[in-house]
Amino acid sequence: MSTLSTHPSGTNYLNHTRGIMSWIFTLDHKRIGMMYLCSVLLSFFVGGMLAVLIRLQLWSPEASLFTQDQYNQIFTLHGAIMVFLVIIPSIPAALGNFVLPIMLGAKDVAFPRLNLFSYHLWVVGALVFLLALVTGGLDTGWTFYTPYSTDTDSAMGGVIPALTAAFILGFSSIFTGMNFIVTIHRLRPPGMTWFRMPLFLWAIYATAIIQVLATPVLGITLMLLAVERAFGIGIFDPSLGGDPVLYQHFFWFYSHPAVYIMILPAMGIISELISIHSHKHIFGYKFIAFSSIAIAIFGFLVWGHHMFTSGQSSLMNVIFSFITFSVSIPSAIKVFNWLATMYKGSISLNTPMLYALSFIFIFSIGGLTGLHLGTLATDIHLHDTYFVVAHFHYVMMGSALLAMIGGMHHWWPKMTGKMYSEFWGRIGCGLVFLGFNLTFFPQFMLGSQGMPRRYAQYDDYLPETVQLFEFYHQLSTIGSLVMAAGFFLTAGYLLHSIFFGVRAPANPWGGRSLEWQCASPPPHDNFAETPTVGDCYDFSVLEWDEKEQGYTWREDVPRPGEEGTG
Amino acid sequence: MLMNLFCSSPLLAAAAPRRGFWMPEQASTVSGEIDSIFMLITWISVFFFVLIVVLMGYFMVKYRRVEGHKSAASPSHNTPLELTWTIIPVIIVIVIFYMGMTGYINLRSVPVDAYEIDVTAQKWGWTFQHPSGAIETETLTIPKGRPVRLMMTSQDVLHSLFIPAFRVKQDVVPGRYTYLWFEASATGRYDLFCTEYCGTGHATMGAVVEVYEEDEFEEKLEELLRWIEDIPEERLFVAGKRLYNRCVQCHSLDGAPGIGPSFRETHELWGQERRLADGRTVTVDENYVKESIIYPAQDITEGYGNLMPSFRGQLRERELRALVQFIRHLDRFDDEGNLLEEWQ
Ligand code: HEC
Ligand code: HEM
Ligand SMILES: [Cu+2]
Ligand SMILES: [Cu+2]
Repeated sequence: MSTLSTHPSGTNYLNHTRGIMSWIFTLDHKRIGMMYLCSVLLSFFVGGMLAVLIRLQLWSPEASLFTQDQYNQIFTLHGAIMVFLVIIPSIPAALGNFVLPIMLGAKDVAFPRLNLFSYHLWVVGALVFLLALVTGGLDTGWTFYTPYSTDTDSAMGGVIPALTAAFILGFSSIFTGMNFIVTIHRLRPPGMTWFRMPLFLWAIYATAIIQVLATPVLGITLMLLAVERAFGIGIFDPSLGGDPVLYQHFFWFYSHPAVYIMILPAMGIISELISIHSHKHIFGYKFIAFSSIAIAIFGFLVWGHHMFTSGQSSLMNVIFSFITFSVSIPSAIKVFNWLATMYKGSISLNTPMLYALSFIFIFSIGGLTGLHLGTLATDIHLHDTYFVVAHFHYVMMGSALLAMIGGMHHWWPKMTGKMYSEFWGRIGCGLVFLGFNLTFFPQFMLGSQGMPRRYAQYDDYLPETVQLFEFYHQLSTIGSLVMAAGFFLTAGYLLHSIFFGVRAPANPWGGRSLEWQCASPPPHDNFAETPTVGDCYDFSVLEWDEKEQGYTWREDVPRPGEEGTG
Repeated sequence: MLMNLFCSSPLLAAAAPRRGFWMPEQASTVSGEIDSIFMLITWISVFFFVLIVVLMGYFMVKYRRVEGHKSAASPSHNTPLELTWTIIPVIIVIVIFYMGMTGYINLRSVPVDAYEIDVTAQKWGWTFQHPSGAIETETLTIPKGRPVRLMMTSQDVLHSLFIPAFRVKQDVVPGRYTYLWFEASATGRYDLFCTEYCGTGHATMGAVVEVYEEDEFEEKLEELLRWIEDIPEERLFVAGKRLYNRCVQCHSLDGAPGIGPSFRETHELWGQERRLADGRTVTVDENYVKESIIYPAQDITEGYGNLMPSFRGQLRERELRALVQFIRHLDRFDDEGNLLEEWQ
């Protein structure tokens, strides 16, 4: 079948049309995905630099680099950028956009124009967010807790632009989610039943459901906040007759599910990476697929675990604690399934696989420390300390973000048509892994020893306490520098590969989902005719082709849709 | 800043319990139980973590790709196995949940005879008021072996009171009362933090908890009530210096403007006109300063925001006078707040 040609002949989506306008107003999901990717990585760079500033400030107990006000702005910006501009759009909008339609053998998403609109909204959101900086700065923390954020005398002036930005970014996310749901329902190719979808698609699907159902609540909440701040209408501020704890309920009703917007697609990527690079059928496909859906559903019922000390009733706390544990089970199931997939595999320790293994290591720690936090008696002590900071960095940065970097390496040959240096890739992954753990593991001890979060300095306390905190903070700062070095190295060899990399084969890793069956980089409309698919985790039909430097379909096995079935 | 005002006795240090690797000193009756729950979860976590990482490492090495070697056929699912690793975690988390719940109910059930302290949080400091009327801010003095209940509210934004050594924490919410109780089990000095972000001075909004044996505690309490009475009227400005700790976050003594105007400036304007934000002018005198402390929102000094919390009900009349005298006679102190030689 010509559609499955592995030879890049002539044009592809990168050189199909030329000029900057052909990118900004493209309807091609691949170009939109790439633009998302660049934007997200740029935001990640900015957020990352802010993180380094945070770590440098905390090297010594007194406020040495920045004043308290400056520091409060820095951590707020860091958090808001990383959450709203980086992690939430990273996997679904950047990688998902690129990969999802190709995995479905489709020419594009169901609504290409809406897709472009989502991206434009993202850009507008990011620009409005910049407005917050010039209109007085933002120092509320990414959580915008009331009444601090609505009190014009306390919080800095940039609250309303920042809320507007988050509101706009929310819509970007909702539209992407809707688009993906429809695409998955309507555009699956012949042969791809629900239980033959690559697990990445299951994950994106579960994520999209959360995006569509939860994000509107955030939008409404932020709007109420803006109204209160602008017009003094009492909703959350007790001095106006409002209730500040109500805000927290609204906020976490979105923001807890939002953590699954971050982690579910990451888990989807890991399922792909582990299976493909182990060259082995994924273990327990249905359990993994259902656990994505289970997480998406239970994720809506546990928001109260962020509010155990807020003053909500004890009975509510007990109920929320109970349901919280129910989400930890599907996560555990996935980890065991990934291990079982590796069992008796044939594991290539490529860079993407190393990221996947790092993910399992880091996510185990992040998920298991969720148990300490979900347990009432211990969370009272740990809440709002560095223990929580460590926990959510293990799951958001160490798991969600590293999965995205792993996925980026995995699909890099497909996206750019070039191979990066495997040698430097492994070193980069190693540095990031070591740096990450050195940065964040000490923060568990910091937190359990009592160090509260969002502190610009910690010199004001008993000498023995200060000494201990200083020790752990310094370990953490050193780690952050190692990690930064790892990321710079990664950026370096990836950029290098674009210009000097070896040309990538269609299928460098031996994947069987459809994206590996079209050329690298794919042509403008992906497939000339809709391909038929079989079991996308059955790798026995592929073999290594020396000439091609990639995997090709075995001569002696018919393709699905041809004689017999694959 | 957190000065050791009521100097602690040497006995305190000797009896102090020790910090562990994970948890700080166990200084309350509940800390033992909470720590054992924490350690149980930690060991369960360590077990699973080691299991996962060892398996992963072993597979990584054992099944690494070698030329020409295909992955061996093995089943792609196994329902009994998958049910096992679903059901075992379920049982474990139910046990953990239950222990956490009983520990928590304990944390919320206040014994009836608890010693009650009123706590007011405001940017960026704490006020602790004892039943006897004694007020303290930089320290929280409590007896050992007697349950203590804190009734808390905030004057402005959210704060949260956290004493790691006691393993207790509770948000302090404007417009409502929240409570916390503990029973200290060891004498000593312990950190108290604000753990809910509250703006500029969040990181320095702390205090020291001082736990004394019952009889020593009664003495300290006396002293808290008496100290200002013992200072003669004409030297009240010295007492004012001590109370200034509650203003230091926003008012400097060296003339540098902060969140509020420097007291040096207020002092230099004594008897003269001061412009207010709404265009009115007032004379800086005893009355103006008092009003500023009790009703800060009434007269907003030009160039500043309405950021000063009210100290109504948190300062006794004599303490208020002491603060006024302190600002009025600030020329008797240097820029660091040290009393000049001739006034000692
Ligand atoms: C959270 C910050 C903050 C704290 C704490 C604070 N103040 Fe203020 N204070 C201000 C601000 C801001 C102003 C100026 C606006 C106003 O007049 O209300 C001010 C104004 C004043 C003024 C009027 C000064 C002038 O020159 O016009 C006096 C007097 C004063 N404060 C006394 C005190 C005393 C005494 C304390 C401690 C018991 C204290 N303040 C604690 C923020 C604070
Ligand atoms: C696997 C099971 C998990 C459990 C049981 C769990 C439990 C918890 C609990 C109870 C808290 C509240 C702690 C506190 O504030 O005192 C918390 C905080 C948090 N968790 Fe998790 N978590 C899990 C996984 C995740 C994942 C996968 C993510 C994200 C990818 C995540 C992100 C966060 C974030 C961002 C916070 C803190 C937010 C903030 O206060 O700013 N968690 N977690
Ligand atoms: Cu949560
Ligand atoms: Cu605070």
